[in-house]
Amino acid sequence: MIKTERILHLKSCRGRKVRVVREHYVRERVPCFSALCQADCDNDGKVLPGDLTHYVVPDVGVVVDYLEILEFRELQGIVFTQTACQAVQHSKGRRQYNRLRNLLKDPRHDCVLFANEFQEYSYCPREKGESQEKWQTRCVYSAAVWYHNHLAGMMDIVMITEDQDAVAQFSSLSSGVYVVSVQDYLSNFWMELHAAHELYNSISQALEEKESEGTEKEYTEHLPSEILEAGIKSGRYIQGVLNVNKHRAQQEALITTQASSNKNTGTFTAALRDVLVYGGKNRNRAVHGDVVVVELLPKSEWRGKVTSLTERQGDEKTGEDEKSKPMPTGYVVGILQRNWRDYVVTFPPREATQSQSRNSQRILAIPWDPRIPKIRISTQQADALQDHRVVVRIDSWESTSLYPNGHSVRVLGRAGELETEIQTILIENFIHVPPFSEAQLKEMPVNSPEKPWKVHPSQVASRRDLRGTHLVFSIDPRGCEDVDDTLSVRTLDGGKLLELGVHIADVTHFVPEGSLTDLEARSRATTYYLADRRYDMLPAVLSADLCSLLGGVDRYAMSVLWELDAHTLEVTKVWYGRTLIRSSYQLHYELAQALLNREDTEVPELAPLSPEEKDAKLAELTQALEMLTHVARHLRAQRDRGGALELEGVEVRAQLDAEKNITALVPRQPLEVHETVAECMIYANHWVARKIQKTFPHQALLRHHPPPRQEFFSQLVDSAKARGFTINTSSNKALADSLDRAVDPEDPLVNRMLRMMATQAMSQALYFSTGAQSQEQYYHYGLALDHYTHFTSPIRRYADMIVHRLLTAAVDLDKGLSPAVALATNKELEETTQHINNKNRAAQRAQKLSIELFQCLYFKERDPQTDPSCVADAAIYAIRDNGVLVFVPQYGVKGPVYLKNRDGEVVTVGQDGRCEWKTGSVKRYSEHISTTCSSGTSTFTLFDHITVRISVQPSRCHADSLNLEIISNKPHKSAESQQPHSQGRSQLVQEVVRQAEEASQQAQERASRGPRLSKEEREFCQSKTPNLYSLLEEIRELALMDVGAAANVCASKTESRLNTDWSSSNRHLKNLS
Amino acid sequence: MAGLELLSDQGYRLDGRKATELRKVQARMGVFAQADGSAYLEQGNTKALAVVYGPHEMRGSRSRTLHDRAVINCQYSMATFSTAERKRRPHGDRKSTEMSLHLKQTFEAAVMTQLYPRSQIDIYVKILQSDGGNYSVCVNAATLAVIDAGIPMRDYVCACTVGFVDETPLADLCYAEESGGVSSLALALLPRGGQIALLQMDARLHQDHLETLIDAAMTACKGVSKVLDEVVRQHLQEVSVLTRE
Repeated sequence: MIKTERILHLKSCRGRKVRVVREHYVRERVPCFSALCQADCDNDGKVLPGDLTHYVVPDVGVVVDYLEILEFRELQGIVFTQTACQAVQHSKGRRQYNRLRNLLKDPRHDCVLFANEFQEYSYCPREKGESQEKWQTRCVYSAAVWYHNHLAGMMDIVMITEDQDAVAQFSSLSSGVYVVSVQDYLSNFWMELHAAHELYNSISQALEEKESEGTEKEYTEHLPSEILEAGIKSGRYIQGVLNVNKHRAQQEALITTQASSNKNTGTFTAALRDVLVYGGKNRNRAVHGDVVVVELLPKSEWRGKVTSLTERQGDEKTGEDEKSKPMPTGYVVGILQRNWRDYVVTFPPREATQSQSRNSQRILAIPWDPRIPKIRISTQQADALQDHRVVVRIDSWESTSLYPNGHSVRVLGRAGELETEIQTILIENFIHVPPFSEAQLKEMPVNSPEKPWKVHPSQVASRRDLRGTHLVFSIDPRGCEDVDDTLSVRTLDGGKLLELGVHIADVTHFVPEGSLTDLEARSRATTYYLADRRYDMLPAVLSADLCSLLGGVDRYAMSVLWELDAHTLEVTKVWYGRTLIRSSYQLHYELAQALLNREDTEVPELAPLSPEEKDAKLAELTQALEMLTHVARHLRAQRDRGGALELEGVEVRAQLDAEKNITALVPRQPLEVHETVAECMIYANHWVARKIQKTFPHQALLRHHPPPRQEFFSQLVDSAKARGFTINTSSNKALADSLDRAVDPEDPLVNRMLRMMATQAMSQALYFSTGAQSQEQYYHYGLALDHYTHFTSPIRRYADMIVHRLLTAAVDLDKGLSPAVALATNKELEETTQHINNKNRAAQRAQKLSIELFQCLYFKERDPQTDPSCVADAAIYAIRDNGVLVFVPQYGVKGPVYLKNRDGEVVTVGQDGRCEWKTGSVKRYSEHISTTCSSGTSTFTLFDHITVRISVQPSRCHADSLNLEIISNKPHKSAESQQPHSQGRSQLVQEVVRQAEEASQQAQERASRGPRLSKEEREFCQSKTPNLYSLLEEIRELALMDVGAAANVCASKTESRLNTDWSSSNRHLKNLS
Repeated sequence: MAGLELLSDQGYRLDGRKATELRKVQARMGVFAQADGSAYLEQGNTKALAVVYGPHEMRGSRSRTLHDRAVINCQYSMATFSTAERKRRPHGDRKSTEMSLHLKQTFEAAVMTQLYPRSQIDIYVKILQSDGGNYSVCVNAATLAVIDAGIPMRDYVCACTVGFVDETPLADLCYAEESGGVSSLALALLPRGGQIALLQMDARLHQDHLETLIDAAMTACKGVSKVLDEVVRQHLQEVSVLTRE
């Protein structure tokens, strides 16, 4: 090591300039992380492959400004210099720097960090009078030269820079390093990567714009972070996350303060949980989701939230609205952390752009999410991009600018097209699902007719072999292909003991921790189900083949085997471990139930056998099923005593023909066997949770469902009172019982709506790491279990894979083996669970949005005035100041109905129930709302049925929404409404998909790329819940989905898992009753 | 601007060292003829001058005299030009007084004071340039000065600071690291016997990490002791060559 010194000029805390001398040690051996290294560098970790055509060394300016381009996975062999990384850290802040660090850590990206400043020969000290930029460029160049020499000239090194002087200066030096500008580099080496070219253009334009900024101040400057931190500590400022009100995005935003900050500042802020920020000036450039610091305004300027319904498209009403009582109001003084992400925006049509900007290249694009302010983008493609949806990123928001500046990243397509809209939904929910890469697929085992996959002999030795000893079978919906759970039951010890077994597909055997597939699965966290398609978490070779426990083939499994006392059904012994199974029967629910009922049925697996054999086998199977049912009943009763919620419900199942098209919808009989399978899965989850919690008390992944906050039940209790029911919410059991009693014999909808409100009051079930919560908080409210986790669906949930790994480690520990890889610490696990929870929430939101999208597309095709399907029955479930919220059971749509429009007219009911608009006033009471005008008074009460007309409110920039208009206060008396609505949704989705296909075909003729729905995608067209209502409700409350674990089993997997979850939560709802 | 990254993902510190590497140590003994013993020591950019007078009779108040051993009197000061911003008061402030006390305690543990009853040993240390680890540099410089004065010691006293970042102990912190919010620990060691002469830590640290931190500090101190030993031998060689002639 050689010691040198570097001299820095820094600013002291008092603002004076200080000359600081720092030591700087350089050394000869710094790892180069290249596979071609000749000098035996100490390269551990990521290594650049040797078979590339060249390595790229980006200059500091390129890394700082064009990092997004370097993020393309296609660009390989990137050497980031330490100089550049430090420049990013200093000039762009922590967020950008972390992004760069993650890039460097991610094994999927082919890039390394070279510590050039610590290498004796590549380090160059800054010379007197040399500007920082020049020096940095020189450093990077010298690093590039070092690489060239270090690799003995075997690899071409390309340095890319934005500094034209550098290109001129260095390319003349014949050192073997090519120095080119970014643009030349892209066009010479990556001609075909159009996305990169576009991105480059848009970023460089944004940068140019930035230089030509005006100086007029639109906003006050943010305070420096030291002052903010001191202010937060002293309690003068409040820190929180900015939450913009969806319906009044321009005006209202709430700051949700964090619990931790409350603790510090004691009672003062604890009392005021949320702070209102009113108006754009007060919000001071904060964007939805940012962590901001606010200062409170004097009490005299506090205001209340507006509670009346606003017309979505309408201008903000000012002043005269009725206000709730004033709440703490403040203004933003600084921003601690920006949480900018990718936004989807729509380019306005041409004429609008000319009027609003002096320079026609600058466009104010309107984000899809109404909570985000308009973003100023400079582009030359404004004409081409009219009415297109485009992904943009915000670059900066100076105090001189009314709107933030951004640049476009890529174009999604024309607004209103199905494919564009779905992509929009995915991006707005941070769902990133590229096709699996070749490297990932290479890791997968092969199973093809030429090279069939076989059980490995070493695995046979290490696993418990259940193929000969246990009768293993699966019970799934008809036509299911991916079976991830199987069951077995048998008697032991001459009938004194029962052995119950649950065998789950051993996914983690095929997906080792840290492999590319594992990383991808972790980042996806779950399989995403949209209304018309799904995005798998694992490649299809695993999910549909090798991990699917099909009948008659050998498969690896993770098993839980209980030994139960045959009479008391007490658990005497539990065995966990890896096994080898061969499922004997692949049953479906109806068949299993028929066997239980001793009906005469044909089991396909037994068809070729002789009658005597068949009878013997059949008897064996039937006996096993009966035993299983017996055990499940007992388990169920046990949980019921603890206050678990009842599971029952009606589901609809789609019958598929050979082409996987839906031929008919059959209401699923609530068979007991559904519950039996669900119970076994819950039991397995529960016991696995106990095991891993015991072995790893601080780092096990469990799932809990916190009890709901009592105040959330107020709407439910009040509404029920309106109908004369009392709801007891003191415990889960009391709630379930009282909901059960609250049935209006004349209107079954009342009960459903009460359940809906109950579901809304529930908190979400969440994954957590046991080290992060106290033991009392492990409780699962919905299932009434003290420990619970997810273990039974590793194919579609990453949490289950973690649990599988934990269980394997626990079993290894019992055997005295130490786990091969260190387990995640509590902190890491907690981060992972946060990630999974976030992804689950995103999946739910995406699902909900995609369904709303399909609803809109469905109604868009219909003329609301003439088409009878646009008129439907609706029930009132909540009262607002100027209208009511209704729920349309036929389509499962919920929405507002206005009783007063912007012209001051109100709805009046005529003789025959027809409604008209007349001038008058609206008065709101707790249980009803009445309108008064010259011709009389009409009243609308909670739970009243009215008739509404559904039309689509088109919106160019945001998602379309449905508009409900009251046409009569009488229930809609159409015969169709009585028929099972289950078909509504399937038809709806199919209809929309068909329309989209037609549209896309037309579009293709016009030589534009259109969405093509493959057969696979059609396969997942789904439609099986009773109707859209339950669908929407269920999605929102997937939280309750622990039942989903069980549900998963019962659910029709081929059709769609989503369905499963709906049905499960659906049942859950029923249970609440 | 984000906080400095004290330990990069590749294991480099701000100045290019790895976690366990010490700064460059350079030293000279016998820099002044006037004093009984003197030494100059650089550890990276921290530079210290140590001067030893004694053992001699008690000066000043005789009441402090100890009848079985010598009194050690330490004074620590920093030059006004030692820091980036000029210091107002070179010595006598609270920090210097505390440092003097620590030095005194350290050397009471190391010098064989019982050989010189009723006498006094003065150790003066001045920091000429400060770049972190002032205490340890002072101890190391003073050790050399005491040896130069020919006062018997049980062993070299070697000191080093260690900090704890990202679950890794960093040896021999520089100023940028010290001020970057690292919980640091200063340790003075008699390396041969492995006895600790002084251990000082002001920051919060989890108990579980203390052991590793002390181990790292001991290793670092042993490294320092090797260098000091070299310096002493070198010095003796030079002196003996001179005297022989």
